[in-house]
Amino acid sequence: MKISDSYAAHQRAVLGYCSLILILGAWEFLLTYVFPVNPFFFTKPSLIAAAFADQIAGPKLWHDLAVSSRAFLWGFSFAVILGTPLGAVMGWRRRVEYTLDPFLTAMYASPLVALAPLLIVFLGVGLLGKAVLVFLLAVFPFIFNTAAGVKSADPLLINVIRSFGGKEKDLYLKVILPSTVPYIVAGMRLAIGRGLVGIIVGEFFAASEGIGFAIQNYGDTYRLPEMFVGIIMLAVIAVLLTEIMRKLEITLAPWRAGEEVR
Amino acid sequence: MTALKAYYNDKEPYVLGIGFIVLLLLLWQSIPYCFTLSRGMALFFTTPTKIGAAFYQLLMNGELEKHFYVSALAFVVGLGLSILVGLPFGLLMGRSRILDALLDPYVTAFNATPRIIWLPLLILWFGIGIWSKIVIVFAGAVFPLLINTYVGVKNVNRVLVNVVRSFGANEWQVMKIVVLPNSLPYIIAGLRLAIGRAILGVVVGEFFGSSQGLGYMIAAAASNYKVDIVFAGVFIFMGLSLILTMSVKGLESRLVSWRPETAKTF
Repeated sequence: MKISDSYAAHQRAVLGYCSLILILGAWEFLLTYVFPVNPFFFTKPSLIAAAFADQIAGPKLWHDLAVSSRAFLWGFSFAVILGTPLGAVMGWRRRVEYTLDPFLTAMYASPLVALAPLLIVFLGVGLLGKAVLVFLLAVFPFIFNTAAGVKSADPLLINVIRSFGGKEKDLYLKVILPSTVPYIVAGMRLAIGRGLVGIIVGEFFAASEGIGFAIQNYGDTYRLPEMFVGIIMLAVIAVLLTEIMRKLEITLAPWRAGEEVR
Repeated sequence: MTALKAYYNDKEPYVLGIGFIVLLLLLWQSIPYCFTLSRGMALFFTTPTKIGAAFYQLLMNGELEKHFYVSALAFVVGLGLSILVGLPFGLLMGRSRILDALLDPYVTAFNATPRIIWLPLLILWFGIGIWSKIVIVFAGAVFPLLINTYVGVKNVNRVLVNVVRSFGANEWQVMKIVVLPNSLPYIIAGLRLAIGRAILGVVVGEFFGSSQGLGYMIAAAASNYKVDIVFAGVFIFMGLSLILTMSVKGLESRLVSWRPETAKTF
């Protein structure tokens, strides 16, 4: 009885782990015993694990990750610093929104990674080109989410503050900021995904270090286990960052949880 | 005067919005007249009229048509495959708790990670032809569709399902009568996101190891410093994604006019 109870409580997690183990086991088994294929084109979990242990011990993986995260952080910080104030003004001032919205929507909807070759040629293969690319991709979720957050502030609350003689400062800090923060966090989650695309494309295109470069370089030299190590590291970082944002979103605005599509 | 003013008040959003874009283009066009650019800068500089001329030339010599056809093929086939896979899996994961638990780790991990990192591997496996592009488009577009379908199915009103069941409907009829109509708005929203991801996949897929397509055209032009062609390509992608997402958005707002407004996502 005890066992079936705890299974019912953790069914989701148990099934999830089972399917992971099953898939990894089947992958290993098939490639070892059924079709032992060319190691240049396929690889298996045991080889990836060996490469993983090897890479974690060495400095190269960490160096690549540090290089990429520096460019990411620069671009992302500028996206926050410029995007949120612009979004706040757009949400608060109707005419500013009318003026900027069509232009920014066109930029948001268009695949700005198409500018990557030009940026790399123009700004070089170092930090600057990649950071600008990350900024260009990550800034729009901040602008539009902040604007939506400011607009979502309850007019009733704004009127209450005004009728009771509250100052402009009270209005901003007590009504608009609290209703905007959950939107900004949601924007941050979207921006992380887009920023990672920027880093990877920038490094695929032309770079001599960084995690995107490492993945491409291992691919070009047929070292698949090492390549998978890079992919797994990036996947772990991406999942961690987005899950943290999702948790933060749920804590800050439990009423919106699960409402928005991912 | 008052009639003009009333007309302005009526159309203010359009006047301001279009006016701003026109102003930006004029400023851009006037830069070479106001400043003398150094020779290095002049190499990277172009103006809207030059971009227009480059576009016209590409259109006339048939090059654009050739590249467009290749890109459109990868886009349509990849997106079509992702609809064929994403919708049924989303429906099944929404209806079966066991399948949901089994597949959720993969969906979460793949969805959070930019699919672009698989590109070197896909080029290794599928070559530099169209198949690696189709697969990268598929990988980008399938998750928004799958997840949105799943969320739509999960948000179905339990009471409606129970009512249909009590009147003797089987699982297939429950699906047809309650689940599908209810999740349609979510599926359309997923389609809009999927279009954006698919275009991203086409662009980046053609940047690397490719010899045809609009993405290749941009990358090749950039490495030859033909900045006007790069911008012509970027504007073509911009126009295409705007047309596609706006038409899906029109469909969406007709279907879900009752839903509360959320921030824009692409």
